[in-house]
Amino acid sequence: MTDILLYRPHFVAFIILFLLGMYIMVVCLNLVKKLIGMYIMQTSIILFFITLAVKEEGTIPILMPSALALPPEAYANPLPHVLMLTAIVVGVSTLGVSLAMVIALYRKYDTLEEDQILEKIQ
Amino acid sequence: MIRPHDSVIVHTLARVFTPIIQLFALYVLIHGHDSPGGGFQAGTLFAASVILPVIAFGIQGSLAVLERRAIILGAVGILLYAGIGLLPLILGGEFLNYGELPIPGMETSTRRHWGILGIETGVTLTVAATAVSIYYSLRERGEEEEK
Amino acid sequence: MTSSLPGFLFAIPFFAAIAIPVAGFTNQKLCRPVALGALVLLSIVSVIGLSKAVSHGPLSHEFGGWAPPIGIEWVIDGLSGILMVAISIVSLIALVQAGPLVKKELSGRLIPFYSLSLLLIAALGGMVLAGDLFNLFVFLEIGSLASYVLVGVTGGRSLLSAFRYLILGTIGASLYLLGVGYFYAATGTLNMVDMAQQLPGLLDSRAILTGLLFIVLGLSIKMGLFPLHGWLPDAYTYAPNSTTPLLASVVTKVPLYAFVRIAFWVFGMDAVSVQIPVLMVLGWIGAVAAIVGAYLAIWQENFKRMLAYSSVSSMGLFVLGFSLGTETGFAGGLFYVLADTLMKAALFGVAGAAVYQCDANTVADFVRLRRNMPWVSIALLVSALSMVGIPPTAGFFGKWYLVVGALEAEKYFAVATILITSMLTALYFFRMFQHMWAEEPLPLTEPRVLETPFPIRMSLGILTFGIMALGLGSDFVVGLIFESVIPEGF
Repeated sequence: MTDILLYRPHFVAFIILFLLGMYIMVVCLNLVKKLIGMYIMQTSIILFFITLAVKEEGTIPILMPSALALPPEAYANPLPHVLMLTAIVVGVSTLGVSLAMVIALYRKYDTLEEDQILEKIQ
Repeated sequence: MIRPHDSVIVHTLARVFTPIIQLFALYVLIHGHDSPGGGFQAGTLFAASVILPVIAFGIQGSLAVLERRAIILGAVGILLYAGIGLLPLILGGEFLNYGELPIPGMETSTRRHWGILGIETGVTLTVAATAVSIYYSLRERGEEEEK
Repeated sequence: MTSSLPGFLFAIPFFAAIAIPVAGFTNQKLCRPVALGALVLLSIVSVIGLSKAVSHGPLSHEFGGWAPPIGIEWVIDGLSGILMVAISIVSLIALVQAGPLVKKELSGRLIPFYSLSLLLIAALGGMVLAGDLFNLFVFLEIGSLASYVLVGVTGGRSLLSAFRYLILGTIGASLYLLGVGYFYAATGTLNMVDMAQQLPGLLDSRAILTGLLFIVLGLSIKMGLFPLHGWLPDAYTYAPNSTTPLLASVVTKVPLYAFVRIAFWVFGMDAVSVQIPVLMVLGWIGAVAAIVGAYLAIWQENFKRMLAYSSVSSMGLFVLGFSLGTETGFAGGLFYVLADTLMKAALFGVAGAAVYQCDANTVADFVRLRRNMPWVSIALLVSALSMVGIPPTAGFFGKWYLVVGALEAEKYFAVATILITSMLTALYFFRMFQHMWAEEPLPLTEPRVLETPFPIRMSLGILTFGIMALGLGSDFVVGLIFESVIPEGF
């Protein structure tokens, strides 16, 4: 257990953020808080991917014409970063759509708490 | 119409920061080849530089028309991206294979360089326009509530 | 062999989705011809793609000219070709059918409806054709975003269902992404073919096991497999009637395809049944899903809600079929998926027509259809017989191949499940027929109900004909499946 905390703290951070996001989504009744929880969960997955890309003594993966070319192991892995750019864009779009929905719900039912909305529907 | 913000500090800082943010956005876009950056980041910065003066100084009804038309700029951005992508497909190569773009007088690697810059510009335009129009549509509902 | 067809298969609906706001800006009536024309073109190109893939072998398209595994590739092989044809034809029929409904329900907001529907179809096509795992995720999310908005358009109750669908769908997609992350961490590649070559040595690593678990969980939420189907009944019931045929017939099938692709092509039959017994667990879950879905459907009063639980039950049957582990079971599952796209499009089309013409929401209201709307009644009759599994409709042949596959694999619980589900399905569908035909005639003061408009009649007629034709031509289709779709390892 201390092994993981000492040598792999990023996994612990990822797990804590993921579970925190899930908990917020399940427990909170306010719709905007649910969205915050959703975004925290997506951010934790992005964090997980980025930590896959880190290497000790790694440098920026750009080939400058003036510098000497290093062996491939010396560059940090750029692929997870690029994948996560796409995932961030997807997360932002989802957040945009969900905020528009929340505003439409507010206009119709005048409240943002899920239990009050359910009461008004019945 | 949005009321301008009350505080002098916000006004001064918005006035100072807006051109700096735009310049930085342009820098991030063009230097996407060599340093962290690229289309999406630059687009978000551009959108921030448009939204900041709106929050600080307010906007009259006439200027709000520009925000409604912002999404047309977004469509231009998508067209730029998809056009540069489809041109090689139609000419016999693959989608987004910039080496086959029909620009005379350049070698393949330079064509790829300019192709990437082209599509990143398209992405920037689209992302900036979309973020501004999301802000506009969220704000528009709020205005109707105030009335 | 390389080909540009996959690129065109995505580009056609995507460009149509962008062109529709432009065309509709000038004249709103142009939206529908542009959308339908694009879908006709897409159907033709996908049939060409399928025939080329069957005769020449898989067609692959490398993006940017970079060869895989470093580059991204899109592949049309037997399975994705067949699904692409099914998606394009059924969505064409669903959009034809939606014409009158859009004017009534969405108060003429034609541009967003057609544009979003075409974007959804483009994203489904991208998912089906994708050759690596992360592309699958991106198109999954694009399609899901379009479908969240399409579900929530009519405001009120549908907006809350769309919000729930959004939250649960995003959880599902995030779990899928997490699983892909674990796979990437363990193998270092995202391309499906490359990963299939690297996996046999890595099957006892915990990263692969956890990755597979997360992917199955995420895709199950998206598919609507039994314990994780919470969004499905509300979303199908309260979504506008113009979108539910499209939503119910194709949108849940594509995550199922993604799961089949990962389980059988990336992992291989041996890995998922013997070494990591995923298929066995999913077989039991599918069986429970089928029976519970059918049982819950019996108690529903609202017709669309009944059909939603029926979809949950069908999804259980698909998963059961694919988990059987024999060639006939696989072919039966795939054939039943194809039949179900037609059946669900027809059933939800009937629901839309009934609401449009005589405001018939609940099962008891269907009495108003009696002898007044022959096309709708015949469509309902044929699709219901097909769902139950009565020859010579397509549903019968699908269930037949499933039962034969289950008997070959000696999994008798699957045979029992299929038979019990058919009986329960018969219960809730024949209840409708009892309301429609077997009760006393209504008094003469009942207002005369007219027949539905031409697009709805034509599309319901085509779907009915399609169900019968697929049933009668089932040996051709199943032969095609056996010849070009079944992966190695069976």
